[in-house]
Amino acid sequence: MFGPLFTSFGEVLQLQYFVPLVIGTAVGLVGGVLPGVTITMTIIIVLPFTFGLDPLAGLAAMIGVYVGGESGGLVTSSLLGIPGKPSAVATTFDGFPMARRGEPGRAIWLGTWASFIGGLLGAFFLVGATGPLAAFALQFGPWEYFSLFVFALSMVAGLTEASLLKGLLSGAIGLVITVIGTDPIMAVPRFTFGSDFLQSGFQFLPVLIGIFAFAQIMTDLERIAAGTRPDSVDAPDLKVSHLAVIWEILSRPVLLLWSTIIGLLIGVLPAIGGSAANVMAYDQAKKFSKHPEKFGTGIPEGIIASEASNNSNVAGSLVTIMAFGIPGDAVTAVMLGAMTIHGIQPGPLFMSQQPHVAYGIFAAYILAHPVMIVLQWLLAGVYLRIVRVPKAILIPQILVLCVIGAYALNNVMANVYALLLFGVVGYLLVKFGLPLAPLILGVILGDQIEVNLVRALMTDGDPLLFLTRPISGGMLVLSVVSVVLALWQHRRQHRAAPAEPDTDF
Amino acid sequence: MSRDGVAGLACLAGSLLLLWVSRALPQPALVPIGPGFYPRILLGVTAALSAALLVSDLWRRGRHPERPPVNYRLVLLAFGIFTVYVFLLPLVGYRVATVLFVGVLQATLDPPRTARAWALVAASAVGCMLVTYYLFEAYLNVLLPRGRLTGF
Repeated sequence: MFGPLFTSFGEVLQLQYFVPLVIGTAVGLVGGVLPGVTITMTIIIVLPFTFGLDPLAGLAAMIGVYVGGESGGLVTSSLLGIPGKPSAVATTFDGFPMARRGEPGRAIWLGTWASFIGGLLGAFFLVGATGPLAAFALQFGPWEYFSLFVFALSMVAGLTEASLLKGLLSGAIGLVITVIGTDPIMAVPRFTFGSDFLQSGFQFLPVLIGIFAFAQIMTDLERIAAGTRPDSVDAPDLKVSHLAVIWEILSRPVLLLWSTIIGLLIGVLPAIGGSAANVMAYDQAKKFSKHPEKFGTGIPEGIIASEASNNSNVAGSLVTIMAFGIPGDAVTAVMLGAMTIHGIQPGPLFMSQQPHVAYGIFAAYILAHPVMIVLQWLLAGVYLRIVRVPKAILIPQILVLCVIGAYALNNVMANVYALLLFGVVGYLLVKFGLPLAPLILGVILGDQIEVNLVRALMTDGDPLLFLTRPISGGMLVLSVVSVVLALWQHRRQHRAAPAEPDTDF
Repeated sequence: MSRDGVAGLACLAGSLLLLWVSRALPQPALVPIGPGFYPRILLGVTAALSAALLVSDLWRRGRHPERPPVNYRLVLLAFGIFTVYVFLLPLVGYRVATVLFVGVLQATLDPPRTARAWALVAASAVGCMLVTYYLFEAYLNVLLPRGRLTGF
């Protein structure tokens, strides 16, 4: 295991891979800093640039964005009190009070070093668990795959902030999108209404870019129209004793490990992401603390829990995509699309068939962390100037990159039309309060669900096999349990607080 | 009816329409599962979920949270400008369409009032086109749309 990993370190350190990794990490940090620009949006912007690169170079750039983005959000969270992205929300609770108290450098570097250490601890899990989990997944037949995908969808639908019903409906709409076009078994056109545009169905990436980019940009435009603009601040003094900060983190080993484990576990679960991980880790840190009343006043524990968990979350998401071929969140969903463009199919056979790329991903993930530290050190003060760039300048440029990303997939305008169509769909979904994550997972898994369902039934017509085969039955039972738990959770929350308007991307 | 009810009703109508359309899908003679098998199950589930959303909305009538008023003018304008851009791309090509799109959208989102602001809009539009065009075409070997009318 470690031999190929060290070889991959040498490879990723070559300029051809290292430059995209550094640029990706820098772009991720900037994207993380900008309030309202999520990591998904940042990775969508970077996506077209990866088309012309070697597959590993493209993936290194995306991993850089992912790691950098998770760390960049803490800058605006701590200095402006505005989370740069959803996975830095909990950092705001203690980072901002600490910065306001006159310790902005301590707040930023506690978060940065906690991200670094949490991320590297997550790397042990990534490197150690991906192979065994992929070997386990090799035992899967079509019954198990079908049940796994159903489980993934039910989990995502249940864990969205909107109601369970809306989560399930959103997932079902995603699946319906995939039945438009030519059917995968007999090549019969379905629901095309005689249109050439619909004949080949919708490619996954234009759908994803359209839905996520427009849902976010148009919601931002509503805010611009309402006159809401981000505050700007002068660059503060971020000087700090790094050894003292690192000691502050390492002197709390239980907090650090537990937050890392929470991040990993949330990352492994499909499509939940860092936004849940950081809040959950913060909540756990508060519950187990000897002085919970101090949380929210600017104590290091809150920052460490949040930042260690959201970076280890990246490792968990990468495990899921590499071992099972299921994206751990929206960011890995875009990475999945990029891998497909390069002819790489993640899943149980990925490690054995593409060891060069798999170990390259491990190496890029690990190397992205020291790169992130160096960039944060060089640029932390500069980022705050970027926050002042008006949205009126950023939005048109982002939309141009979205168009290039969709068009460059196979140089056809049909993908750009699909981008426009699903841009409208994405915005409408947000306005109707339907969560986007289940829909995207439905679009990603739709074809595979159908193929495995049909394959299973053609192999043996007995539908009870889905329940009687142990792994398949176990996962279907887990699906039911996750739906029941979600129902119970939603009911409890509903009693505790009335529903609020939500824009759950 | 709140937005949940409207969403439920729209999805119910859509899934019932597609279920009706799926009747025309052929049933193969040799294999038991045809192209309509999976879509019918799926659309049945979608219709049931949509109906449940609609019913739950009607059940909760009068208990919907208040939502802040939203200004849709910029959203509609942005969608309109983007739509024109998408349809201009194959006609006038990436370079002309992108300069027009970036300039018009930026000027719409933050109307320039001084000569300096207009210069910034122009620089941003031309700069965006030049950087992306040369980066993608020359360095990343990604071909961008050519215009039928302009020839480039």
